[in-house]
Amino acid sequence: MSDETTASAARATAGAIGHGTLVDPRGLSARTDRAGTTRPAVVRTLAFLRKLYGLVQRYFPQFLIAGIAFAILKVYANGGLTLMGAQIKNALVLGAIYALVAIGYTMVYGIIELINFAHGDVFTLSGFYAFVIAGLSGGAIGSLATHSGIGLLLALLIIFPTTMVAAGFTGVVIERVAYRRLRDAPRLAPLITAIGVSFLLEGLMLVIFGADNRPTKLSSWITGRAVRVAGVDVNWKDIFVVATALGLMFSLGAFVRITTLGKAMRATAQDRSASLLSGINVNRTISATFFIGSALAAAGAIVYSINYDLIQWNLGYQLGIIAFTAAVLGGIGNIVGAGVGGFIIGVISVFGGQLAGGEWSNSLVFAILVIILTFRPVGLFGVDVTTRA
Amino acid sequence: MILTKRLLPVVGVMGIAALSACGTSSTSSSSSGGGGGNLASCQGTFTVATDLPLTGGDATDGPPVEKAAHLAVTQALANKTLGGCTLKYVSKDDATVLKNGHDPAQGAANITALSGDSSVVGVVGPFNSSVAVAEIPIASQNHLPLISPANTNPGLTQAGTSASIDTNSLYPGVHSYFRTIGTDITQGEILAYVATKELNFTKAYAIDDQETYGKGLSTFFQKSFTADGGTIVGTASLPGTTKQFQTQVADAQSKGAQVIFFGGTSGNGCGILRSQMPASIPELGGDGCQDNKFITDAASNAAGAQVTSAPDASKLPTATKFYSDFKSTYNEDGTESPYTPYGFDGMNALIQAIKAVLTANNGQPPTDPMTFRDSVAQQLHKLNYPGATGTVAFDKNGDTTQPGFSLYTINGTAWAPKQLLTADASGKVTVAS
Repeated sequence: MSDETTASAARATAGAIGHGTLVDPRGLSARTDRAGTTRPAVVRTLAFLRKLYGLVQRYFPQFLIAGIAFAILKVYANGGLTLMGAQIKNALVLGAIYALVAIGYTMVYGIIELINFAHGDVFTLSGFYAFVIAGLSGGAIGSLATHSGIGLLLALLIIFPTTMVAAGFTGVVIERVAYRRLRDAPRLAPLITAIGVSFLLEGLMLVIFGADNRPTKLSSWITGRAVRVAGVDVNWKDIFVVATALGLMFSLGAFVRITTLGKAMRATAQDRSASLLSGINVNRTISATFFIGSALAAAGAIVYSINYDLIQWNLGYQLGIIAFTAAVLGGIGNIVGAGVGGFIIGVISVFGGQLAGGEWSNSLVFAILVIILTFRPVGLFGVDVTTRA
Repeated sequence: MILTKRLLPVVGVMGIAALSACGTSSTSSSSSGGGGGNLASCQGTFTVATDLPLTGGDATDGPPVEKAAHLAVTQALANKTLGGCTLKYVSKDDATVLKNGHDPAQGAANITALSGDSSVVGVVGPFNSSVAVAEIPIASQNHLPLISPANTNPGLTQAGTSASIDTNSLYPGVHSYFRTIGTDITQGEILAYVATKELNFTKAYAIDDQETYGKGLSTFFQKSFTADGGTIVGTASLPGTTKQFQTQVADAQSKGAQVIFFGGTSGNGCGILRSQMPASIPELGGDGCQDNKFITDAASNAAGAQVTSAPDASKLPTATKFYSDFKSTYNEDGTESPYTPYGFDGMNALIQAIKAVLTANNGQPPTDPMTFRDSVAQQLHKLNYPGATGTVAFDKNGDTTQPGFSLYTINGTAWAPKQLLTADASGKVTVAS
């Protein structure tokens, strides 16, 4: 009885408000009156904007390349050949690291359409693995590396496989524990879980290794200048970083194209159910994808340590987002795209920093992310596929 | 209700103090002498506190200063400097995990908590200028004296000297802020003097860490460097999380910079920048760079950095007793950070001011906690105390009357003082030793 009264009272109030304020006849009539004069101008502007949008969308790679070429030439005009050369070197080194991390994002997205936000932290964790492994047995590996050329080769042959395997298993465990059960859940669930895993890893590293950045002592492994081109010192370290990244990327490309497991990965990425029907072990294939993606992040972490000699618990957070931008730029899901995207983001970060000031480096990178998502969400190398994301 | 509850212990203490006016026999043996005979009848416990960054990236900055301040309290209690009254010591950490070091929000929360405790009569801190910006208004409104052992931004006390600080808005209440160290105007003048007159450089590249301290110091250095006949060939302002400085180093090299100046702290990349610079170009910095973290981060490239920091007191005859006491108490030399004796002097200045208030008030604390705090601030303005670092005295702005900085270089694996420089009001720098 009393409920009914309240309900009817509420209806009456709602009606009164609706009649009194929600509908404003004057506003409506005013618009109709103005329409006769303003419409053509609006339509013209809209048509122009639409045309502009279409143009940018269609020629996006050309615009991007033109912008980058302009930035490089501007730096050349401002600071000469030496500055341009030094910054190209810096861009390639930074780009190589971004590319190695970006591949992990793109592989995981390609196969299970999940943006693995924990990937940046797997990068950091791998850096700590390398730090711990290099420090084992009283830093024997470190002294081996600095002893002689062959010693360095041996040390690299120890640190790369061990760190990459450890990181690979970390990736597999993360997938098994956090993502596998949610594979058929709504898209948001694994995404939120990924953010949770990211926080968990960061927290663990913070507790175990402390808040401060730790010197890894890996920078002393590779020293000296390889060659001096146009006044630019190209160090062995720089060559090592870029060569390692390119070598690993081409190996991965060959692996995915040629081997059975690589074929299974591509098949699973295209159609998981059909792959299952044709006898592919989908779970194992997805685990392998996480293993390889994490292992490449580990390689990125080692070359980062050799180049910058530091590791910190929250390093992967920002670096991960930048690498994610690289993956989106290349076309998420496309391995070649992630590699190229990494180098392009390196160039944008360095040359943008040179021209606009270092404080704008990251803003420019993320502006690129917004621009890609607006004009070309499929990225440079992406094909237009219907996704549920 | 809450206010009454907070005031209750104080009122209670006052009551007891009034009842037992006869007191005990005089046991005051204060080393600095002059203990009023009626101090022995003093009854009450007051709280003095420190607010410093103790953890994270700043873990090498705050702890030695905190230990030195604590030592001052321990000695005052042992010497019965305040007669029958006793001191309680509280230590606050303004570093957070989120910022991996000093956090202005945490500093503000600490000062709010200390202000609300009516037994607190003064605080030694904060360490960082950005934290001071958040804390001074709260302290000002609550009449709480703050004595910083390390804040160098001139905008904290002198209006119109900092682009990012509105000095007048920092003091909505009373002026209760003091510092035992010179400002960045002096530090910038001294650094520019070193760059132009001693190292004979004419081209410098300036990088800052976007913080109140770093940006301010960089501005003053650039101003003085230009005034001394040098040219600033380029600048960059990078967030404290920056780990890659190659872009800026290449830019500086192409512009012919002979020296790269970094305005900022080690936690914000001073040492990381050094590790990525060619050894042939020296790095110049302020007191924020002068710690062990710089040496760790700069690794094999650590040599070739010259920074100014608090005057080195370890050779001063006035500081001999402090360093030997520090060593016997903590089993540490205390020479790692030059700020350590400034924490000791800051706390002693506070204790001396409290003592002067008690003496002037017939050996008893003022009944109203706000009056007590105001009286302490007034006494700090009048103070002329022979401390470990020299005479501790403040001008009308609360700034130290003896601003100076020492130049430090890395000798092996530790910072070593090279020379002490002072600057007068007109900006003329003289080498003191």
